[in-house]
Parts: sequence; structure tokens; C-alpha cells
Amino acid sequence: MKKHLIMLPFGIIFLAFSVIPLLLMILDSFQSDVTNEWTIANYTTILNNPYYNKAFINSFLIATVSSLLGLTGAFILCLCLLNLSKRTQEKITFVSNLAANFAGVPLAFSFIILLGNVGVLKMLFPLLEGFNLYSWLGLAVTYVYFQIPLGLLFIYPSIKEVKKEWIDSVALLGGSKGYAWRKVAFPFLRPSIMSTFVILFANGMGTYETAYALTGSNINLLTIRIGSLVSGDVFAKPNLGSALALLFGLILILAMILTQWVGRKVRG
Amino acid sequence: MKKSIVIMVLCCFGLYYFLPFLGTVLYASSTSWGKTILPDDFTLTWFSQLLSDQNFLEAVGRSLFLAGVVLLTILGLMIPAIIWIYLFAPRLNRLMEKLVLLPYAIPGIILVTALLQTYSKMELPMFLVLIGALFITTLPIVFLGITNQIRLINMRELIDAATTLGASKKTILFRVLFPNIRIGTTLVSLMVFSAVFGEYMLTNLLIGGRFETVRIYMLKRMNENGHLASAVVVMYFLLMTVIALLTFVITNRQKKKLWLKGQHSIKQCSISVKEGVTVENVLGNS
Repeated sequence: MKKHLIMLPFGIIFLAFSVIPLLLMILDSFQSDVTNEWTIANYTTILNNPYYNKAFINSFLIATVSSLLGLTGAFILCLCLLNLSKRTQEKITFVSNLAANFAGVPLAFSFIILLGNVGVLKMLFPLLEGFNLYSWLGLAVTYVYFQIPLGLLFIYPSIKEVKKEWIDSVALLGGSKGYAWRKVAFPFLRPSIMSTFVILFANGMGTYETAYALTGSNINLLTIRIGSLVSGDVFAKPNLGSALALLFGLILILAMILTQWVGRKVRG
Repeated sequence: MKKSIVIMVLCCFGLYYFLPFLGTVLYASSTSWGKTILPDDFTLTWFSQLLSDQNFLEAVGRSLFLAGVVLLTILGLMIPAIIWIYLFAPRLNRLMEKLVLLPYAIPGIILVTALLQTYSKMELPMFLVLIGALFITTLPIVFLGITNQIRLINMRELIDAATTLGASKKTILFRVLFPNIRIGTTLVSLMVFSAVFGEYMLTNLLIGGRFETVRIYMLKRMNENGHLASAVVVMYFLLMTVIALLTFVITNRQKKKLWLKGQHSIKQCSISVKEGVTVENVLGNS
């Protein structure tokens, strides 16, 4: 019995800093910020307020675009890696991991130097003049920088499983290489592509630091809204923030269930 | 695919990944950068100014302190717990594997909201809450890293052998168990350290300006003096590179050692460790 004590500190910390606060947050989201009464007003406010609706839409757009680009990038990178020696592969994954360290404030800053209002690349290539780094598209392009390494990590192990023989057999039967990839390799990879997409999507929705460093509180994103609602700014409305956070969590869960359902349906 | 296409595509990726970094380095080592490809001059003023800036040194100190406290807490509490689970309650292991992944499933901003709601009105110092939050977010990497190491060394057999030879419990613990999980613990420590050292969101939202860590300092400088801020970024990135290199070398050395022991276990370890680093970096810092 005494030996169970060894698990006690872990249990207490785990409960005290994740489970209990999360449950309390759910309760708080049903309380008014002004009167402390039980109410669903927080949720009706969010659903009826165009400002918050826009935050959902913006976050959704950025997450979708950045994860699609990130997934494509990761996929192409994987295909290249397959042609290289094991040593070079290792080195490239090392660099890709190192680049992931850049996410957040450093990334935002270096993109401002390159592509901000007076960015170097903008001066050199007038073509980029119209590109606004501080718009949702600009943010999405910035996110791709850390979405690719993350995507690479989850998709690479399964792409390695695609056997050369499969592609060769299709060629033997008269099919082209593209046909083989489309009809044999892609269906095999679909589940892992889907789950990688969900991970990237969740990461894109949840990004706070990069967006905050790039735009301050100016861009209307879900994470930024929640952050300013709960962190004691002038307009702190913590219970409204909790409701927003809860809806955000529900969206992520929904996205997960949806992709699993679609994946199963396609396979069945 | 043709070799030339592969190399071309890789160069594009290389450019995309290298340019932002190059831009920062050049910006940090110049005083003005007009409408030219390269900056107008080269100087190390910003670096020397930075190193003599009391605020910067204090920020580094705070980040080091935070990383140290989190490391000691999580290793001190989790290593005995993980060993205990492995030896005496293997059935708990499955449950733990799912539990510790929870932090990856909850975005940081939701965790912050929950913690602020719960503790901002209480007497509990926010610094403790921050330690708790960092404990939770670094939990997956610690648990998976140490568990893998224990599996790799076949801990149960080691203990059986030591017991048969008549070693006391103390000897087993200090002469057999701890030395054998040393490599895994070092790797995990490096990862936790780099994750906590570069932490921004939790610190900023939970404690805010009252506890200025490296990244908070970085962002503050960014709005005042771009050149100085890029100097901070460059130095930060150099440190991270050193840590990543260390991790790489240690992992490879361990792999080579284990090559003699059999191949199955190697696969399991190397993948999980590498995955851990990137996931930790991206999820933690984006």
C-alpha cells in the first residue's frame, strides 16, 4: 500500500493543473461575467456576435490553408527524401526538426524582416508588393514554416511503407507511374494523410504565439480573442473566454470525429 | 524520380527554410539595410550591446531558472513513478500512455484559460501554477522517453540478475537502474530544457510582464529595436542548435551501442525520441 504513494505527486499535479481546471472552465462558461448567475448568455453572445463569428471563420481559414499547404509540402519533401541515402535523410530530418524550433516569436520576426511592410524581399521583387504579411493569408504562409516539419514527422513513416514493388507491378501490367500512385499508393496512404491533416489543422487553429508576435491583438483569431478575454486586459471577460475556449475544443473534437468517419466511409 | 528534380525541389525547400534565418543574421549584424540585397555595413555592436544589457541577462537567468525548476520537479517525481509502474503495475502503463497524451490534445490556449479561471482568484502564487502547467505540457516527452529507455535496457531482467547475485535494493537502485537510464534521462532533459527555455504563451498569459523570460524579452525588443531583437533571435537559435546537435549525437551513439544488442528495440526508440522533439517544439512554440 505504501508503495502507491510514489504515484501520488503525479496524480495530484495532473488533477490540479489539467483535469480540475478544465472541468471548472466548463462550469464557468455557463456563468455570467457580470452577475455570476447561471446562464447560457455567453454562448448566445458568441453565436450572435459577428465579431466572434469572424474569429471562428478566420481561424478556420488559416488552419485549413496552412495545413493543406503544409501537408503538400511535407508530401513532396517525403518523395524527395525517398531518393536519398539514409545518411542524408537523417541530416534533413535533423534540419527540419531544428527549423521547428524557430516557430513563434523568432519566426514572426524573421518573416517581418523578409516580407513585412518594408521587407527585403518586397524591395527586391516588386511582384510581392501586394502581399500583406499581416492578413490571414500572410499568416497562413508563415504557419507553413512549422506545419511542414510537423507533417513530415507523421507522414514520412507511412510513405516509407509504400513498396517499390507495388509501383513496379502496376508498371508491369501496363499502368503508368502516376496511375500507380493514384490507384495503389494513395488509397494505402489515405488514413495517415487524413490523421496528419487533423493534427496540422488542430495545430493551425491553436497557434497563438506566431500570430500574436506578427500582429499583436489586431488580427481577429480565436486564440487571440480567448487570450485577450482571459488575461486581465481592460476588457477581461473570463467566463466568455471560457465559453469560447470550450467551443474551440468542441470544433477540434468534431474535426477529429469527422475525418475518422470520412476515412471509414471511403474504405468501407 | 530524377535526381536533378529531387535536388532542385530540395533546394527550394532549403531556400524557404534558410532565408528567414539568413535575413535575421544579416539584420542582426548591420545598422542599416536599405534597398539592396545585402545590408550596407557589418557590425557586431548589437551583440555586444546585448551582452551588456542587464535586462537581457536577467531574462536569460529567469528562463534558465524556470527550466531548471521544471526539470528537477518533473524528473524527480516522474522517474520513480515510471519505474514503479513498469515494475509493479504494468497494467497502469496503458492508462498512463493515454493520460500523458492529453496535453498534446488540448491546445495551450485552452489550458491557460482553464488555469487562469481556476487559480487567478486564489492565493496560490502564479509561479507555482506556471510550473504545474509546464509540468503538464512536458509530461508526454518525459513519460515516453523514460519508458522507452526502460524497455530498451530490459530493466526487469537486469533487476532479476542483480537480485540473484545478492545485491541490496540500494545497490540495485543506484548502481544498476540509474546508470542505465542515464542516456534516456539526458535526452529527455535536453528536450524539456529547450521546450521550457523557449516557452512564451504560458508564461506570458499566466504571469505576464512580471516575469520576463527570453521570448518575452525578444518580443518586447522587437517593437523597440529590430536589430537588437534579431541579435537575440540569433543567439537563441545558436543555443537551440547546440542542444539539437547534442541530442542528435547522443541518440546516434546510443543507436550504435544498441546495434549489438538487436534491432527491434532500436527502431522503437529512435522514432519516438525524434518525434518527441519536433512535436514538442511545434506544439509548444507555434
